This record gives sequence, C-alpha cells and structure tokens, in this order.
Amino acid sequence: MTVNNTIAHQRLILSGDRERFKELLRRRLIECGWRDQVRMLCRDVVKENESNNVTFDMLVTRVTPRARALVPDTVKKELLQKIKTHLLTQKDQ
Amino acid sequence: MNDNGCIHLNNFKAAKGIHPYKIVHAFFVSCTSYEARRYKATSCLCFTCGQPGPRMHSCLHCIYFACYAGHIQDHSKSKKHFLYVDLSYGNIFCAQCQDYIYDRELTEIAMSHRLKEAKSLGISVPFMPWLPNNNEALALRRLRKRRLISPHTTIGLRGLQNLGSTCFMNCIVQTLIHTPLLRDYFLGEKHKCKAQSSGKCLVCEVSKLFQEFYSGAKTPLTLHRLLHLIWTHARHLAGYEQQDAHEFFIATLDVLHRHCMNGVEDTEKKENGRCNCIIDQIFTGGLQSDVVCTSCSGVSTTIDPFWDISLDVAGPGSLQACLERFTRAEHLGSAAKIKCSNCRVYRESTKQLTLETLPIVASFHLKRFEHSSQIDRKISAFVSFPAELDMTPFMSSHRRAVDVGATDNNNAPEGVFEDNRYSLFAVVNHLGSLDAGHYTAYVRQMKGSWFKCDDHMITRASLREVLDSEGYLLFYHKTVLEYECDVS
Ligand SMILES: [Zn+2]
Ligand SMILES: [Zn+2]
Ligand SMILES: [Zn+2]
Ligand SMILES: [Zn+2]
Ligand SMILES: [Zn+2]
Ligand SMILES: [Zn+2]
Repeated sequence: MTVNNTIAHQRLILSGDRERFKELLRRRLIECGWRDQVRMLCRDVVKENESNNVTFDMLVTRVTPRARALVPDTVKKELLQKIKTHLLTQKDQ
Repeated sequence: MNDNGCIHLNNFKAAKGIHPYKIVHAFFVSCTSYEARRYKATSCLCFTCGQPGPRMHSCLHCIYFACYAGHIQDHSKSKKHFLYVDLSYGNIFCAQCQDYIYDRELTEIAMSHRLKEAKSLGISVPFMPWLPNNNEALALRRLRKRRLISPHTTIGLRGLQNLGSTCFMNCIVQTLIHTPLLRDYFLGEKHKCKAQSSGKCLVCEVSKLFQEFYSGAKTPLTLHRLLHLIWTHARHLAGYEQQDAHEFFIATLDVLHRHCMNGVEDTEKKENGRCNCIIDQIFTGGLQSDVVCTSCSGVSTTIDPFWDISLDVAGPGSLQACLERFTRAEHLGSAAKIKCSNCRVYRESTKQLTLETLPIVASFHLKRFEHSSQIDRKISAFVSFPAELDMTPFMSSHRRAVDVGATDNNNAPEGVFEDNRYSLFAVVNHLGSLDAGHYTAYVRQMKGSWFKCDDHMITRASLREVLDSEGYLLFYHKTVLEYECDVS
C-alpha cells in the first residue's frame, strides 16, 4: 500500500463511506444468491470432514478460492464503478 | 452452533467482564461515533509489521493490534494473551482453542453496535437471517411434517369458478394471492380479528382463501362468499353484469383497509396521519403535485396518497413513456387560472406530478376504456411494459435534481442505497370488446415461473407471452425491501 492509498483508505473509513460500500456489497451478494451458495460450500466441507473437528482456517482455505470465483462480474463492476466515481468526485473538492 | 464461548473466554469474562470487548468493538469494529471512526482510520495497523492486514485482530487483554499472518500467534506466545477480536467481523479468536469461538452475550453486543453504526451512517438495518426463537424452535421440533418446495412446484395455484361474468373478480383475487408481501402476511397469520362475527370481515375471508390456495388441493374454488362480502360493503358495485376489474381492485383494497381498521391494527401508530394497515403498508404511495405560478414562480406543493396510477395510453407506446408523460410539467393555460397565494390573484400556472414516496406494490392502470356521453370505446393501442422497472426517474427527488441541472448523483454514497427497482408479478388483460369482454390474468408464482389464470383453468406461460400481452392492469413489486431502522 502506497502512502496515497493509505490516505484514501483512511478518508474512506473516516467518512463512513467504507462501511457504506461494504454494506452495498453485502446486499448485492445476498441478492444474487452468492451468500447461499457459499453457505452450501461450507456445509459440504463440514460434511466431508464429519469425523474431524473443522476449524475456521480450514473452511477458509477450502472455500475461499471457489467463493471468489462465484462472485458475479456485474457485482464487481458495479462496486468498482461506484467507488471509482466516488473517489474522483472527492478529489475535485 | 455452540454459543457458550470456551473455558478461556469464560474465565476472562469472569475476571474482566464484557467491557473490554465492548470498547474494542465500538471503536474498531462497528464504529458508533465519528470519534471512533477517527481512531479506526488512523490506528488499524499491525503493531508488529505495520501492515493493515491480512485479517487484523486486537488482543482483548491489552489492545495490541496484530495481523493473522503470524503476529497474533507471536503475541500470544510471548505475552500469554489468548483472546483476540477480529476487527472486520467482531468475532473472537481463542489462540488456545485454535479457532473462533462464539458467545451469546458478546454476539448481542456486536449486533446492537451494528444497528447503531447503521443508524449513524444513515443506512437501513443490515440484513439478518431468520433465527427461530425458543417457541418457534419448539414448534419446529414438535411438528415433524415438512413440505419441500421444489423449483417446479405448482403450490399456490388454483383455478376459480366463473359465477357468471365474475372473471373481473377472479383476476383481482389471483393477483392479490400472488402478491409476495401480502402472501407472507396472511400465511404468517398476522391478522388478529376483532370483528364480533368472523363472517363479516373481508380480511378474515381473504385469510381463509390463502389457506385454501396453499392447501395443496387442485380443484377450482368458488368465491361466492367473498363476492357477497365485497358487494355488501361496496354497494356501488353490486348489481352490474360485467364489471371493471380496475374498479373492483380499488373497491377491494378499500374494504380490506376498512376491515383492517376494525381489527387490532387500529391500535398501532399511524405515522403522519397515514393508515398503517397491511393494505396501506403495501399499496399506498404519495403523489406530489407542484403548481408553479408563471408570474412569481411561487410553488405550492401538495402530497396525496394513491393506491394506483392511471395512465393515458393514446400516443406513448411504452409504460416508461406513459410515466414520463404523467410526470411532465404541464401548462394549465389561460382557461384554468389558479389563485396564487403570493400574487393574491388568479394566474396562469404549470402543474407537475411526481412520486414523492413509492409503494411496495406499484399498480398501473392503462386507461383502455373511454366513457363519454357520446361514445364508449376500448383503446387497444400497443403499450410495451418491462419485466424490470426502475422508478427513479419519476420520483420527486430525482425530478428536482434534474430541474436544477444537477448531474446524476447516484454515485454519491448517500444515494448509493436508493433502490427503486421493481419486478413485474401480475398482469390483468381484457380480451374482446367493451360489452362482450373477458378478463384473464398472468401471475408470477415463483421467480421466473409464470402462469395464466383463465377462471378455472391454470396453464403455464412464458415471460415472453406475458410481455407480449395487451396489458390492462400491471402490477410491480419492489425488488429489494428495506428494513426499518428503529434503534433509539
Ligand atoms: Zn495482549
Ligand atoms: Zn503483522
Ligand atoms: Zn479457548
Ligand atoms: Zn377479520
Ligand atoms: Zn389502511
Ligand atoms: Zn404568483
């Protein structure tokens, strides 16, 4: 992370906009069914390992690559577009 | 899920209480104040490596910030501190158990902070999945019978007998039965009746009807009781041979609303004078009318509730074009002068209608019937309508922004959540001529699954077929529902 990036990041947190964007992302992922799909992936991992104790780290390593791939392009595009526009308008002020 | 924490957390709570968690959570996970956001913005870096991640945690014992790439592990070895709060999600990691642990009391604190944070940022309450309470969990365990809803189910579909030109009623009933939020209300048995004899309450009758539709039986239903009830309470309708489905729709909402008022619902608070009954919660929007004096530019604004929007069909060609024309400023001319409160004389003025608040169900009535003293006729002009409709361009707030020349501010984070998307879920059609016509309805039973209801006959239909139909009444449901934020 460069210094500029850090400042932009800090500004996003300070204004609360980071949380707003995070909430928007959360909503879009629920709307498109991603959250349910990931739940099912997690269930499968737990079922496969019923005999051992499944830890969070184990779930993360097994599920993350597939979960990332499942995020729809439309969601990524919308978020990217909105954050970009937002940062540009901030710069102007 | 076990939400009793672990022995290590329980020992920590016994010694130090919940305060350390509360502080860390309110300042670095869900910031409940501007001051907290300032702390979070400037100090959330790993004390060991100076990086902002991966997965920042705070030691619950000494508020040492460390990342999950080995540095909380280092800290727990050197300091013998075992409990860490994940700063992204607020969960607790126990280095002795080597996993995240969950504690009911701390989860509740986290939830209340999340609500406070949402409120301070002006966003609605975040989505929370349904969790059964103790009573519900008990009921679920006791009632073992489950009905699995498959993607090809025909549940909720049932034909309706024609009692002699009652297709106008059948169409409206099919529409109401397939209104998602109304269905949830009735299947959740939310109507608690206060009426002395249940045979007189239309809301009770509709409640029974929902049970019939979802009972699994397939034989067509006969609605003479319902029709009789509506005719008793909306006398202006009784006696006609063939009726107008639109008129019947409005009359039905009105009787339902009146009977809701006699139920328990009337004890609930009415916000700014508006009725809070289930019908008004779902179907009522606010129509803003701005009259501008052409001499002094003074504006007089009124807002009226509406249940549906009637649109002229001659000309436009699409629903959006109809709405565009409906919300356009219109010059009232010299024959229709209005007394301006500023100038204190009658002046020419312009009038503009916009939507101040949107209902959850937006109902559009295409004015296909023209009644005048000379002629009664049906206008069969083609009007296309979309499966997904964004209502933003027709809102008062949007129109105002356009008028002052402001650019589209939909990207501002405050506007980011403004979501006015609607999905088509029912279409009522009138077939044939004015005096020898017949009504049918298309209803969306599940996402992407459409059916044609022609009295007792129910047949599968494609979305294409629905969108190609003429369209008389169009019903749209809000795509995303907001949660109300009522945290004090
Ligand atoms: Zn420590
Ligand atoms: Zn580190
Ligand atoms: Zn532990
Ligand atoms: Zn009742
Ligand atoms: Zn009401
Ligand atoms: Zn004036």
